[in-house]
Amino acid sequence: MIPTMLGITIIVFGISRLAPGNPVSLSMGPGGQLDAQRAADVRKARMQLYGLDKPIPVQYVNWLKHVVTFNFGDSIKHHRPVIELIKERLPITLTLNLIAFVIIYVVSIPTGMLAAVRHKRFFDQFSSVVLFMLWSLPAMLVGQLLIGYFCGPAFVSWFPPAGLSSNQADTLPFFPWLTDRLWHLVLPVICLTYSGFAYLTKQVRAGMLESLRADYVRTARAKGLSNVTVIFRHAFRNSIIPVITIMATLLPAMLGGSVIIERIFSIPGMGMLAFEAVTTRDYNVVMAVATIAGLMNLVGLLLGDIAYAVADPRVSFESSV
Amino acid sequence: MVEISAQQKSWGVSYGEMVRREFVKNKLNVVNLVLIVILFALAVLAPFLANDKPFMIRLDGKLMFPLFASLTASDYSILLAAAIGIWQLILIRRNRRNIEPSVRGQVLTRQLLINASILLVGSILFFVFMPRRLDATDYKGLISSGRASDAIFAPIPYGYARTDLKVREQPPSKEHWLGTDDVGSDVLCRLIYGSRISLSVGFVAVGISSLIGVFIGSILGYFGGKVDFIGMRLVEIMMAIPVFFLIITIVAYWQRSLFNIMVIIGLTTWTANARFVRAEFFKLRNQDFVQAAVSLGLPLRSVLFRHMLPNGIAPVLVEATFGIAGAIFIEAALSFLGFGVAPPTPSWGQMLSLGVSTTGRFLWWLTLFPGLAIFLTVLAYNLVGEGLRDAIDPRLRKAA
Amino acid sequence: MNNSTLLAVDDLSVHFFTEDGLAKAVQGVSFAIEKGKTFALVGESGCGKSVTALSIMRLVPDPPGKIVSGKIMLEEKNLLRLSEKQMRHVRGNQIAMIFQEPMTSLNPVFTVGEQIAEAIKLHQKKDSERAWADAVEMLKRVGIGDAEGRACEYPHQMSGGMRQRVMIAMSVSCQPDLIIADEPTTALDVTIQAQILDLLDELQQQNGMSILLITHDLGVVAERADDVAVMYASRIAEKAEAKPLFEEPLHPYTQGLLKSVPQLGFEGERLATIPGTVPDPLHFPSGCKFHPRCPVGGQDKRCRTVEPELREVRPGRHVACWYATDYQTQQERNEYESKYRQ
Repeated sequence: MIPTMLGITIIVFGISRLAPGNPVSLSMGPGGQLDAQRAADVRKARMQLYGLDKPIPVQYVNWLKHVVTFNFGDSIKHHRPVIELIKERLPITLTLNLIAFVIIYVVSIPTGMLAAVRHKRFFDQFSSVVLFMLWSLPAMLVGQLLIGYFCGPAFVSWFPPAGLSSNQADTLPFFPWLTDRLWHLVLPVICLTYSGFAYLTKQVRAGMLESLRADYVRTARAKGLSNVTVIFRHAFRNSIIPVITIMATLLPAMLGGSVIIERIFSIPGMGMLAFEAVTTRDYNVVMAVATIAGLMNLVGLLLGDIAYAVADPRVSFESSV
Repeated sequence: MVEISAQQKSWGVSYGEMVRREFVKNKLNVVNLVLIVILFALAVLAPFLANDKPFMIRLDGKLMFPLFASLTASDYSILLAAAIGIWQLILIRRNRRNIEPSVRGQVLTRQLLINASILLVGSILFFVFMPRRLDATDYKGLISSGRASDAIFAPIPYGYARTDLKVREQPPSKEHWLGTDDVGSDVLCRLIYGSRISLSVGFVAVGISSLIGVFIGSILGYFGGKVDFIGMRLVEIMMAIPVFFLIITIVAYWQRSLFNIMVIIGLTTWTANARFVRAEFFKLRNQDFVQAAVSLGLPLRSVLFRHMLPNGIAPVLVEATFGIAGAIFIEAALSFLGFGVAPPTPSWGQMLSLGVSTTGRFLWWLTLFPGLAIFLTVLAYNLVGEGLRDAIDPRLRKAA
Repeated sequence: MNNSTLLAVDDLSVHFFTEDGLAKAVQGVSFAIEKGKTFALVGESGCGKSVTALSIMRLVPDPPGKIVSGKIMLEEKNLLRLSEKQMRHVRGNQIAMIFQEPMTSLNPVFTVGEQIAEAIKLHQKKDSERAWADAVEMLKRVGIGDAEGRACEYPHQMSGGMRQRVMIAMSVSCQPDLIIADEPTTALDVTIQAQILDLLDELQQQNGMSILLITHDLGVVAERADDVAVMYASRIAEKAEAKPLFEEPLHPYTQGLLKSVPQLGFEGERLATIPGTVPDPLHFPSGCKFHPRCPVGGQDKRCRTVEPELREVRPGRHVACWYATDYQTQQERNEYESKYRQ
């Protein structure tokens, strides 16, 4: 775990330092109204201020020291500590992703199981095609279509096109506020979930197919167990193991996707923060977001490993970490 | 059906042949493959399909061919690539008929190398020797003013960079079949040219990712032990990095350019390939033919790449098709966010971002058509990848 | 069908409808298993013996396999006519099955004790505690030491031999009348094989149950079986009690099998084999399926065109061979032997 985290920080830091130009001259802009000597002085002072005149490994260590205490410096654009911005925005993104996550699992597992049990019959083929089509739909298309047709004058106006809460929402008591929030989240969640369905359903189906063909299922049938028991207790319990480990990879994929979703629906989450930071070259924020995203990835992977060790008695915890 | 010569029958059926036959059993796969070929054709023939310069025009009494004259070096390179690609496919067909299976691999490699070199040299020559001709003549104006006549235009008589602010943000009509965008360029034309960007990103990115992945995976898989342990830590680090965030981080620091994007996507998505190859090599490592090769004293690169790799390449091919779909997705997403290629280069993602105009109007044709283009392309590649996977799998199972 | 018969298979045929064609895996198979006795079904891989066993349990995978005709009578009931629900009552309860691969036949995510108790809970309607206690008891009976501790272990923590004992415990737990053992020792070490077979014998004597032993190992058959049926290419070639079969095999295939078993003390002689290979179920030869490899009837027109039926040529001896049915006298037998010896 630790070496991986170090590796991530090195890569993020390396990118920021390898790039052409350095933060100071970029923030100062080309040309400028100062004469050459003055400009050089300002640059030197700024570089000293940001510690950019020290050798790179030293810079890295300094930065790392700050990162460990979650001090990412200040946002150039917002003029506030980056960590505050993240604290505001991270929960929103996490909420969005967790809701999507749960929905994906709740829908995919039964669908995958049914597809495996009705292997090669109508439901299997039909759902396979539908899921592939869902997987191939770009979120940008779906998002904009949804906004265009469900949020505005063009067709129906059932949902709000942007934002997380309506104006004056904070004046509402709790339940109406919650309802309002959820109403705003419906379309973004739809966009975030539909592509996850295909991936997970395919995995569940593949796992179930393999389990159903296994010898121990034949043994279970030979014992006289009913089909339902065989499927849900024996086959399912085995096929769930690879599905759990997928949890680990699903979360980072969704985090990346939420950048686009948040942009389309103007939701002030981490993704939006990253987007704004990149367009405005707010380097502190960019590095912070990349590091935090990496950290969340790692946590996801770790949780996946733990879940795997719990689910599969063949695996001991030490061997998987 | 193609008749198989008696000689071919006696050679038996090669692995690739088995996969191919299984693949075409499902009609859906064939349809998708045809779709992909059509896409390729669109990309290659783009300048002939959509161009604001006519094929032929009589200007001041003289017969001129502006379209052909204005073809750029990249157009020529792409045409050369297509020609060589078709030639290579013909050669493969001929190989299957005339050449014995055991030497077929060598012959194929030699052909690929020769053709690739021709392509490379040709492209370089084109770029070096072809002058950049910028032809901004308004041929349509010339026609209406009477100076020119007898013009034959391409089916879509617009250029992808041609702007015409008088007709901006127009819905589909007779003149502009799919409407116009925010600066008046024809949507259909930009859609066709955009396929070039998407396809090239897909192939270059996947090419890079496959090369890196195969290389690392084969070394890790073959050596195992300490090498594998350290190597897998590195792979895990790469896997743990949120790819999309990394890409936009890189984009933040470097300039926007098509080349950068292709390389970055390739550099960040190789881990899946590495894992597959590593798993295959673990299985192959203990097989007799590998031990035989090693005991004969063959150099390492020969053992790895000539003997083991052809046996373990199947999952990489499947992953490659999915990778192309994924790369197209990523490029579209980046362009949508504004981090991808810069205008006037046409990109489907960038066109999508124009769906909601600055005045708040919903320009449905700018959302639907580029979106559909992405959707159909990605769908075709995904289905082909799935079909390929299904074709390979039962073969493996039956052979096992 | 008399009182001492437990299970009677009558003219069973099972076909597999595959992508590559129709495979007739079992054709016209009939035999009877006596109570308390061991019946061995012998044959090489692909002859249809496993499919026959699965048919008794009605566990043949339905696409692509189908039981197309026949009767399987268990105490007045035709098993092929029972509903699925009724059949489930039979499985594990009246008839139990042990499979070849102990490695993969046990579910890796449940403990051994749980898997045994599951059957007990189902058929004997006992609660979890009593079922668990019974499971531990079963483990003791099959000779696993420290049964309480072992019952909480997972299959991957046990050796192959022990897993097979667990499988046996699972199948015997509900006191079935018949145990079908499909190559129970093939995947095990030779030393363990004897132990497992001894265990089965012991349980048979204690419970008075019958055993249907499926195997390709003639040595095992000679030692343990009471009655034997030899199968070849989806049909029964010969059926008899064990001792007479081994003393005097009547079908050329059986003779070939017995001749090809290496014997101690015969040095320097070439090991006899049956030339050729077992036919592909998708492309069976015409007439008698053994004729391409048969030293006796290979050239005979009748053998090549007409399939011989299983006939009782002597009391208790059934053979499906034109030549075996014909000779009765010692002279004919000598002719036959000399033809075979060449």
